[in-house]
Amino acid sequence: MSLVLQTIVDGLVLGGLYSLAAVGFSLIFGVMNVVNLSHGVIVLIGAYVSYILWHALGVDPLLAIPVAMAVLFAFGYVYQRGLIQLAVDRSSLLASMLVTFGVALMLRNLLVLVFSPDFKSITPSYAFNFFTLGPITLDFVRLSALGASLVLLTFLAAVLRFTGIGRVIRATAQQDMAARLCGVNARHVYGVTFGVSSAFAGASGAILGIVVPFSPPDEALWTINAFVVVTLGGVGSPSGALLGGLLLGLISTATAQYIGPAFPNAMMFLILVLMLLVRPAGLLGNAFSGSR
Amino acid sequence: MLVDGIRAHRWWLVGAGIGLIALSLAPLFLMPFHVRVVQQILFSAGLAVAWTILGGFAGYWSFGNTAFIGLGAFAAGLLETNIAIDSPTLAFVLATLFGCAVCAAVAALLAYPILRLRGIYFAIAMLGVSQVLGELTNNIDAFKGSLGIILPKLAPAAMEPQVFYYYLFLVAAAGTLLVGFLVKVGRIGYGLLAIREDEDTARMLGVPTERYKIGMFVVSATLTGLLGIIYAHSLGYITSGSVYRTDFSLNMIVYSLLGGIGTLAGPILGSFLMVVLTQVVLGRLLDIHMFITGALLVAMVMLAPRGLLGFAENLVRRRGAGLRTVEP
Repeated sequence: MSLVLQTIVDGLVLGGLYSLAAVGFSLIFGVMNVVNLSHGVIVLIGAYVSYILWHALGVDPLLAIPVAMAVLFAFGYVYQRGLIQLAVDRSSLLASMLVTFGVALMLRNLLVLVFSPDFKSITPSYAFNFFTLGPITLDFVRLSALGASLVLLTFLAAVLRFTGIGRVIRATAQQDMAARLCGVNARHVYGVTFGVSSAFAGASGAILGIVVPFSPPDEALWTINAFVVVTLGGVGSPSGALLGGLLLGLISTATAQYIGPAFPNAMMFLILVLMLLVRPAGLLGNAFSGSR
Repeated sequence: MLVDGIRAHRWWLVGAGIGLIALSLAPLFLMPFHVRVVQQILFSAGLAVAWTILGGFAGYWSFGNTAFIGLGAFAAGLLETNIAIDSPTLAFVLATLFGCAVCAAVAALLAYPILRLRGIYFAIAMLGVSQVLGELTNNIDAFKGSLGIILPKLAPAAMEPQVFYYYLFLVAAAGTLLVGFLVKVGRIGYGLLAIREDEDTARMLGVPTERYKIGMFVVSATLTGLLGIIYAHSLGYITSGSVYRTDFSLNMIVYSLLGGIGTLAGPILGSFLMVVLTQVVLGRLLDIHMFITGALLVAMVMLAPRGLLGFAENLVRRRGAGLRTVEP
């Protein structure tokens, strides 16, 4: 019984991180239909920003989150306006996917050149503290990671729901033509959306550094994780990303525990394919837009 | 209709025949390293053409065609190492037929559900399929994916192995090109084009879209499997990591896109340029190899979104228009 509980708790904690890492991918996909294959590398850049701050200045990784977010917001805005938008205009959405893949290759190569291909990890002073709650063990790092993820996701949901720019983003996602007729500068909105998405990817990177070791080739895994989360939960909303992330966390820890430690990836892709076939819009998505 | 199509394109056939003769004589004059480079070009071009049959003609971009390279290679390899036949040639032929049949059967099973998806969803579902097959091959002991399979040596003693595999690849690539050609100029080709431009309208006008898509998915998978089987034998030893490679899937797309999507000459041109560039020119710059590949990819989509053939066509057309305006 306690093993089941422990598996569920571990899964949820991991899932919180997956949710935060995927929410930006989901937003970009929902607002401009671009599949951003460089999302994983942006997550890792966030991790490296926080690594530099911790290594050089001794800044706590959780305090590095705002810095990583600011840096990556600027990066995301420029990246969208300067490259992605041009690719979409000149070619097709599928070709823009290739552009993001090309950028992912370039950035990954740069990360390898600057930081070496070795695994890095961030270990703040409280890294090895843990406490027990009945039969369940919780370590402090994972708990703070889950807490930070939930706070940031709630914050993003509130921004999208209640602020002016949030309303404009949602309007553009629904109908970009109608939004433009109402005086929305759609290109600026796309840039801001990309910036916000990259900022949250960066925040998740800063957090992931204290939970798991990371190295540049991991970026592909984080991109695919994001895609699975979005397919599970539904495109374009923080709640969909939260649901999908928690489910993915549960699935991968349960598979590792009960089927075998080598199988979480196979299970993840199997579920991805099945979800695409049965309900491509995700559990919380509306079936209307789907894949057609 | 097919006969008319062939007649209209007879000069293409003549050109391809001359190319084939030149390529079959080439190993007599080339150095071993260059034989390997051309062999790599033939393999890549074959894969890109096989991908084009569905991805280029019908607009269904698969991001996971490497699934069939791996499936073919492992199905053939497992049969070949467990079968009790003395003649290695006969065993190879049987294993090749078996590998192709497995690819065709799996593709036929997958086709109906997966081809209901369109655009990005189809692309990612195929990526998922290739990853599932790769992971399962790697983790289930019966498939020997992590341990690896040692394949028997096929090349006759009188022949250099690279020359022997060169000819195998040449036959497979030429066969793939022929199939692609027959598909393109026949009725199916027009049907696929209609699907690419507007599937719903095509269906409404009586194009049997479902049948065409499923048929071409199976054809493309079988040809990819055939090339995969030959590739596996040319390596001599395979693990799941050496045949289920995501970069194979992406290269098929990149080569087709570079040359010109939806054409048959495009993938061949693209393979030629990229293989020469990455193997010969950039062979020494391993540190920044990935960076340059990425930069090329970005530059290509931005500068020549219709591929080099489309780019050339634009240039010719612009020059033609320029001349016309000069004339009174």
